[in-house]
Amino acid sequence: MNRQDVAADRVLSLTLKAGAYTAFALIAAGLLLRIIMPLGSKITTAGLLVLLATPVLRIIAACIQFFRERDLKYALVSLGVLGIVILAYCLGIQA
Amino acid sequence: MTLALVLLLILIGFAAGTFGALAGIGGGVIITPLLAIYFGLPMHQAIGVTLLCVIATSTATSSLYVERHVTDVRLGMTLELATTVGALIAALVAHSINRRTLAILFACFLLYSAGSMIKKAWRSRNAEREETIPDYTPQNYPIGLAASLLAGGFSGLLGIGGGPIKVPVMYLFMKVPLRVAAATSNFMIGVTAATSAYIYWGHGDVRIDIAAPLVAGVFAGSLLGARISPKVRSFYILLLLIGIAGWLAIQMIYKLLTGGFQ
Repeated sequence: MNRQDVAADRVLSLTLKAGAYTAFALIAAGLLLRIIMPLGSKITTAGLLVLLATPVLRIIAACIQFFRERDLKYALVSLGVLGIVILAYCLGIQA
Repeated sequence: MTLALVLLLILIGFAAGTFGALAGIGGGVIITPLLAIYFGLPMHQAIGVTLLCVIATSTATSSLYVERHVTDVRLGMTLELATTVGALIAALVAHSINRRTLAILFACFLLYSAGSMIKKAWRSRNAEREETIPDYTPQNYPIGLAASLLAGGFSGLLGIGGGPIKVPVMYLFMKVPLRVAAATSNFMIGVTAATSAYIYWGHGDVRIDIAAPLVAGVFAGSLLGARISPKVRSFYILLLLIGIAGWLAIQMIYKLLTGGFQ
């Protein structure tokens, strides 16, 4: 395992952690709040949206990291995956 | 929605997340049939909610497995090219396929994964736990990409990450160590599930009132599962999952034979 792999793994695990804990905190807060007031369901929805966005953020983070490492092959692979996911997102909105 | 129901969904999510994280299969196999059979959700909605749970398992477990360098990020990103295309095609045609067909596909898939887990359990009954990851270079990329396209398609149609297809393919054909294969599959299923989830979300098939408590439970369960995984013998977890998948397959087949899922 070389130093670049270690750096990429750190960037990716930080992105995943940030997404996971933010989504979890929002969903948990929303569920608790909903017992006392109606605002809860909006916070819950926000949490689910953070959850939906996290895989995309993780692809973007990987893409940036591979470009920084001058690893063009995997930077392009990440861009390709990102393109397909964005296409799915656009189709989902239209449907 | 009553408080008792919310608590029940959190508990189901927690159990599915823990076992899914331990076995490396996302937990969709448990959640979709439960929602379809016991909560009476239409198949499309059950799958829409499950896709969110799969993203939750993948995100929570990968944050730990990537940090521990068990995940092969480069291999994962390459195979994601195929899984996302498969998921995209499948999610687009899912609305023109009827529910019965989806349910039959799911029952077949449950039986298949129960079978592959029985094989896995039989082989690992006396196996020692691998302490370190041996050196390897992924081989046979064409087979890996083809299998990933299929696995992505299953994810879009059935709301599962396709882990039980990808893990054996990476392990058997691409010569990747089993632990790396499981962690890399776990890493990939989040992106694959997200690709389908956007389309289900766009169709209004994600029930937020049901998804929120389930996802909260899945998060907590997955984090626990990923943390305790080095200490638990996978043989016992496999046995449990075989039981759950087999039992749900029987339930689903029974419902199909008695005219359900119309």
